[in-house]
Amino acid sequence: SGAGSRKRKSRWSEEEPRSFQLPDFMKDFTADLDPEVQALNIRLLEISRLLQSGLPLDDRPEGARSPSPEPIYDNMGIRINTREYRAREYLNKERQEIISQLIKKNPAFRPPADYRPPKLQK
Amino acid sequence: QQQVALQQLMLQPGTLPTKVVCLTQVVSADELRDDEEYEDILEDMRGEGGKYGNLVNVVIPRPGPNGDLNPGVGKVFLEYADSDGSLKAKMGLNGRKFGGNQVAAVYYPEDKFAQGDYSC
Repeated sequence: SGAGSRKRKSRWSEEEPRSFQLPDFMKDFTADLDPEVQALNIRLLEISRLLQSGLPLDDRPEGARSPSPEPIYDNMGIRINTREYRAREYLNKERQEIISQLIKKNPAFRPPADYRPPKLQK
Repeated sequence: QQQVALQQLMLQPGTLPTKVVCLTQVVSADELRDDEEYEDILEDMRGEGGKYGNLVNVVIPRPGPNGDLNPGVGKVFLEYADSDGSLKAKMGLNGRKFGGNQVAAVYYPEDKFAQGDYSC
């Protein structure tokens, strides 16, 4: 706009046609601009942090919790499906799902080392 | 404190979209000392930056009169009316060359920009 009247040439290089192949880390970058992907990434980070934090994952007070499922005990008589254990399971499940979605949206996304693709069940 | 740590991470410069795009390593202190060159650069930035959206402000920190370098010298800040403009500018300008310098475009924290803090 109005560039014709200018005596001086702009220092900006011409906008290059971006036909060249973006390196993988750039693909990550551009896909990350998608707000949906951003939200997923943020949630993934949040979950990963929670899981690694060692903080109580379900600290809702007694009354605010939904009824617990039937207890499952191991052969030592120690309950397996504690609240903490279940909360961790839920987070892990959500984490795996988020990673699956991120992969779907961005094939260049590198999943964390402990990610296992969901088993195809028939 | 997890929440705080998380927030701090998200507030790290360049992480989250803002309306301010920072072009790093674009100009040299010498170029900026010269009033005419400075005006030219400003004009180039307004011209090119305006192609991507509603550009409301261009800030190019200049070196002090005694030759002391402000932390923002070398950078150019483009403020847009909305993050749509800043996104397009960031995508469009990143990797381009300005006077032979390869430009990197990142988001800049709006609060710092508003405070005139160009250090990060």
